[in-house]
Amino acid sequence: MPDPQITPAETPADPRAVRAARLEATRAELAAASERGEGGRLALKQYSHRMDAIVQELFAGAGPLAQPVGVFALGGYGRRQLCLHSDIDLLILFGGPIGSQDERFLHAFLNPIWDFGLTIGHHVREVQEGERLADDNPEFLLALTDARAIVGDAVLLDQFSAATDGTRTATRTLDALRSLIADRHARFNDTIYQLEPDVKDSPGGLRDLFAARTIARLTAPGLLGQGGSGLRALEDAEEFLLRVRSILHLESKRHHNVLSHELQERAAVRLGYSGSTPRQQVERLMSDYFRHARAIDRSLRWALKSAPAPMGQNLVRSADGIRFVDARAAADRPETWLAAFQSALDNGCAVSDDMLTSIQQHAGRFRAEDFFPTDAHRAALLRFLKPRPGLYARLSEMHEVGLLGQMFPEFRAITCRVVRDFYHKYTVDEHTLLTIRNLERLANAGPDRQRFGRLLGELDAPELLVLALLFHDVGKWRDDDHHVESAVMARRMFDRLRLDDHARATIEFLVVEHLKMSVAAFRRDTEDPEIVRQFAALVGVEERLKMLCLLTLADVEAVSLETLTPWKEELLWRLYVDTYNHLTLSYGDEVIDGGQSAASEIAKHAPADLDRRSIEEFLRGLPRRYLQLFSPEAIYTHVRRSRNVAGDSIEAWLEKQADGWELTVITHDKPFLFSNISGVLSSYGMDILRGFAFTKPDGLIVDTFHFADVERFLELNPEGAEKVIKRLEDVIAGRTDLAARLKGIEEGALRRKLPGFAPVVHCDNESSRRYTIVEIVAENALGLLYRMSRAMSESGCEVDLVLIGTEGRRAIDVFHLTRQGRKLTEDEQRELTGNLLRVLEGRS
Amino acid sequence: MKLIKSIVRPNKVDDVKNALEKLQISGMTVTEVRGHGKQKGHTAIYRGQEYNVSLLPKMEIEVVVPDAAVNDAVKAITEAARTGEIGDGRIFVIPVGESYKIRTGEREV
Repeated sequence: MPDPQITPAETPADPRAVRAARLEATRAELAAASERGEGGRLALKQYSHRMDAIVQELFAGAGPLAQPVGVFALGGYGRRQLCLHSDIDLLILFGGPIGSQDERFLHAFLNPIWDFGLTIGHHVREVQEGERLADDNPEFLLALTDARAIVGDAVLLDQFSAATDGTRTATRTLDALRSLIADRHARFNDTIYQLEPDVKDSPGGLRDLFAARTIARLTAPGLLGQGGSGLRALEDAEEFLLRVRSILHLESKRHHNVLSHELQERAAVRLGYSGSTPRQQVERLMSDYFRHARAIDRSLRWALKSAPAPMGQNLVRSADGIRFVDARAAADRPETWLAAFQSALDNGCAVSDDMLTSIQQHAGRFRAEDFFPTDAHRAALLRFLKPRPGLYARLSEMHEVGLLGQMFPEFRAITCRVVRDFYHKYTVDEHTLLTIRNLERLANAGPDRQRFGRLLGELDAPELLVLALLFHDVGKWRDDDHHVESAVMARRMFDRLRLDDHARATIEFLVVEHLKMSVAAFRRDTEDPEIVRQFAALVGVEERLKMLCLLTLADVEAVSLETLTPWKEELLWRLYVDTYNHLTLSYGDEVIDGGQSAASEIAKHAPADLDRRSIEEFLRGLPRRYLQLFSPEAIYTHVRRSRNVAGDSIEAWLEKQADGWELTVITHDKPFLFSNISGVLSSYGMDILRGFAFTKPDGLIVDTFHFADVERFLELNPEGAEKVIKRLEDVIAGRTDLAARLKGIEEGALRRKLPGFAPVVHCDNESSRRYTIVEIVAENALGLLYRMSRAMSESGCEVDLVLIGTEGRRAIDVFHLTRQGRKLTEDEQRELTGNLLRVLEGRS
Repeated sequence: MKLIKSIVRPNKVDDVKNALEKLQISGMTVTEVRGHGKQKGHTAIYRGQEYNVSLLPKMEIEVVVPDAAVNDAVKAITEAARTGEIGDGRIFVIPVGESYKIRTGEREV
């Protein structure tokens, strides 16, 4: 149907008048169709289309745009079912913050629509507000489901929706819809059989039809074809109700949808119902009405009953597992696929067969990078790889349909790879996946495996261990030195996933050294301290030891059902314990004395502002462990800052880390120094999670504390970091009394103390030549480190080295102490133990 | 004919096996075992808490040798398995009356 023609004027016409005339002609066209009883889908679509053209014209004439803007039709207008007196519902989306020029644009755009006498329902939003979409009002969420671009930047709507949590938004939209349906039906006494029905709002009316379709669109597009009244019946009902509604708007000259007795007669005539009397005509009209209302009602009830639960953006959970709502749209968006497997993992179910088939058909079209295009997608992968029940099953599904090999082409190289030896019972790919199953089973390990399960729970980044397991044998596509080849292949993955240096180093270490612990545990004499020392030197720090131990356990167990015996587990555990003890108890005796290659490397690659000698001087006397805990850059910073330390001055700074904050302090040792530093952090409510304290023979200390800002002091106060450092300086200089400040906090912490396990204090004079070592395992609490170290200082001890650890609710701290430069006597140990237990039990 | 049962450190199995092979003694049974000798295990400490490690992992190697080869076999095992430290293990020599090959039913005396 061509656009209605406006008779051209002889003089240039006022554009506003032309538009008004065109609108009037458009409305007249719809009115005429409605009069003929033909105001159904086609007529309304035509009217919506003409309205689009007017909106586009107004948009173009509203002045210059300061930023990307998109205009979208919502609700009935979005569905192209705009009736004669319907509201024009618009969403106007701005790409960034709305400024004064944008407001001028809005006025210029919207005012002419009001001038036409049309009723506008408009929402003006910025794209970033999409982050809070899930919390938006329910009507707006529902209106958005029909959103349709009219003019401007159409991509903004995708960005607006993508910014939100898809699962929450879909769930909330459906919940809102269910709630609105229930409320609306209650207003009509929950029956479709109204003698004067509202063709829009009554049960069985147009709203119910759109509700059923919305449920299907959000959860299962084919749903309404699988049950209820069927698609054809719904289309007939829609056409009928729209025609009736158009007549109601025409006759009442307003937004009126009630088919009253009076209007029933007029509608029956316009729709051409036969009958010798108006009564007969009306009875036939209403008979049709109820037939259509019943069809809609039946389909809506089917949809409410049968719709799968939304599980995320374009994801639902049906009887056979997680699947895409719109498989065709998902086929071109490989970055969304992992979310399906994550959802299955979260919900303890499978990924549906049809979804796996779809992925299998399309996976080959994409490169590895296409699956993780942004930091958010890469972070989602690491989150997915955290070991927990179901991970093996999901990875196996991904492998079966070729997805794992597309995401990690290196893994494809070992698909069905057979290595013939006396031990392995499975192909290399399955062996690899079984290692992950063994790991995930540790999460719910029985009594015999709990000790290993606890190690898994203590890991900061268990996903790195899973990545290492995925790659530990990929080098077996070749026949020799597979651990070296595996590491080479893993490095390609590091670059694709843009892993940070720590993650790269950890995974590479695990891949390269993945056979070392089984060799040491099963083929070496682990009762020989030298074997343990060498192995401790290889792993360096406890986190790597734990990871290598778990990797070894999972790897050996995945060789065959019989390979990992309780006997081997015991050997592995003994090596773990001996090495752990070496790392935490004996490191104080192994100091940097100039002969260490790592120290030489640090000095050799010094930046221009540092000379080799000053670095060597700084490092001399520090435990060798220091070199394994800090990156070269961090060490250079320590050297630089240490040059500013003179007398009682301190160098202290705070740095924001990925999972908390870190305080570093460099100064000269003095009594109560360690307890004062930890006390200052506690005075701000900081929860100290891990850290290290080192003291050099010349008295210089390097302490680092990693902590959680529980009360968000640093986040909420722009000058918070400066305040913390200032208080630290004041406390260390003796200008502020920390004990008085902490008294209230300590009492509060002790009152809030949860019932837990009895604290353990163990003194050890054997493991170190120079120090008495005190290991403390206790319930973590605010100020715990401060109270313990203060008790040590009050007992006359010097706190020389400290390892601070927190594992769940347990604080695990190891102190290396001396008293007047020597180890503590047995009496002194007893006294100290008693003092510490009193502190830990809240008795002093 | 004697059964020589040796309890050795796990890491010494290959050394013992090699030593016996040099004496042309190749048939053997190796079993993972746990136990303790005179020292009755020891105490270990993990995170400040002591626990007993009473049953230590060891390997048991069983060979049956002619009477004439017993002394050489015991000597070879002793030398291969010895570290000089507590926990090196034990060797038991047990008389064997008869022996049968299961496949053929052949009897050896």
